[in-house]
Amino acid sequence: MSLRDDFQPKWKLFLKWGWLSFAVFILMAPVFYTMYISFNELGFGAKYYVFTFQWYENVFSDKQLINALGWTMLLALITLPIVIPFGLLSAKLYKQSTKKVWIVFVLLSPLFVPADILGSALLVFFKNLNKFFTFISEYTGIYMFETWFDLGIMTAVIGLIVYTLPYVFVVVMITMARYRPEQTEAARDLGASAWRAFWEVEFPQIRAGVFSACAFVVILTFNEYTRTSLLKGGFDTFTSVLISQMLNTGMSEESYAMASIVSLVAIVIVSVILIVTAVRTEQLEKLTRVVKEPN
Amino acid sequence: MFISKNNILFKVPVIFMIIFFVLPLSLTVVWSVFERTMFWMEPGFTLFSYENFFFSARLENFVVSMLHSSVSVFCSFLIGFPIAIFIRRRVKKIAQHRVMLLFILPFMVSEIIRIFALRPILSRNGVLNDLLINFGFIDSPISAFVFTPTGVVIGEIVSFLPFMIFSTFLALEAIPNYIFEVCSDLGVNRRKMFADIYLPLAAPGLFAGSVFIFVNGIGIALIPTILGGPGSVNAGLIATQAIIALDFPLAMAVSAIMMCTLMGLLYIGHRLFNLTKLLEPIS
Repeated sequence: MSLRDDFQPKWKLFLKWGWLSFAVFILMAPVFYTMYISFNELGFGAKYYVFTFQWYENVFSDKQLINALGWTMLLALITLPIVIPFGLLSAKLYKQSTKKVWIVFVLLSPLFVPADILGSALLVFFKNLNKFFTFISEYTGIYMFETWFDLGIMTAVIGLIVYTLPYVFVVVMITMARYRPEQTEAARDLGASAWRAFWEVEFPQIRAGVFSACAFVVILTFNEYTRTSLLKGGFDTFTSVLISQMLNTGMSEESYAMASIVSLVAIVIVSVILIVTAVRTEQLEKLTRVVKEPN
Repeated sequence: MFISKNNILFKVPVIFMIIFFVLPLSLTVVWSVFERTMFWMEPGFTLFSYENFFFSARLENFVVSMLHSSVSVFCSFLIGFPIAIFIRRRVKKIAQHRVMLLFILPFMVSEIIRIFALRPILSRNGVLNDLLINFGFIDSPISAFVFTPTGVVIGEIVSFLPFMIFSTFLALEAIPNYIFEVCSDLGVNRRKMFADIYLPLAAPGLFAGSVFIFVNGIGIALIPTILGGPGSVNAGLIATQAIIALDFPLAMAVSAIMMCTLMGLLYIGHRLFNLTKLLEPIS
């Protein structure tokens, strides 16, 4: 803190905090409003507000929706065990590499590419691959990989990996930044294999980050619409049901309830992660303070 | 040895991304010159889809959506940059990241839900108009908030503002504290501080955030579809509509144009500001 701060009037500080909270509030307002409407029996635009759980009951008795939830969960469960090791591996590669620019470019530029562009490029790519593989199978008589890139779970998962890997990479990098690599060296000097040094020394320290990366992947899978809807083929995911309901019949009260459920789950998960990490860093800081200055 | 520089295992993610990200996006350029058939396309060389793009209303739509995106970038800068500076300077070091995480929260709720919910908020009988009327700012509801370019800009700001804050904060975080101390010791005034310290030193972050908002503003089809009303089209929407119409070469041409815009901007930014600086605090 600079000297100047001490002479600044308090109200200016309050004003700035106010501005920050206002921005967060504006960003969250649509979500809160969705939740508010979802409990109103009379729906949006009604003059009176009658509290009800009815819309939630309707949502949970909706077969199509439960089915879509199942598919989305399946996608998340297939994506997770692939993308998390990918994130760890690429963070390791980044640390060792001398050509960091290229790794950053390949791993982080999916963040910048708009969903529709990436989705349509992948769609045409898969269709071409499909044609190519069909041609090969007909030519060679080996039909093993003929249906590999038919639009379906496989292609949707690939799209999701391309989408979520940058986030996993960043989260893992942030947690790895706190880890001191001397510990791995010590473990290696004592004769541990590289895998053991990673699994028993490094991983326990970055575990929190890996878990939050997992949570992010699940949340992002549930939120993702454009890429998945282009690549998924036949089945319905949660957001595609939501969108088709919203676009075809307008915002029904059920869609408000559905949206609220997803947002609430995401908010709860993120808040839990925030609180847990906050508590953990506080504990760690206390510990280091004790070590640094023993009374 | 398990961990060695040449171990192929560590390169698997990068190889995966090259096959399923770099390759499809580079091939868009090739596919865009293919010839259109009834349901698909066949190899050939024709600039028909580019002609189709550049000599029709699509170009105009594209330029207009670029304009809207620029407005969103500017507004996000005005709203977001002061917040990033405030968090960097006035919030205690330990709490800084926690305050940043407040902005992750809205980002973790599906964009679709946030954009869709803006409709009832901004519409004629929506919350915003009710509030404005109740507080006596206006007499009759304003209908320009949604289904107009204003609606698109508001939607873009609400969706992408956190990115501006993240990237500028990352850039500001890399500035050592003594620079601020020296400035205040020497009595630098606010305007000079902003123009000579914050702006140039946060430039990589500002650039990355701006490119993100600009390109996504042009490329995400949902925002104009939901908030834009009739006639509101951007590149993403042109591409998805071309796919629905089975005009794959046109969709690929739009994608190729978007990719060239994005890569050009990123390259210029990297040459000017070295964008890898942004990752230094975490690597």
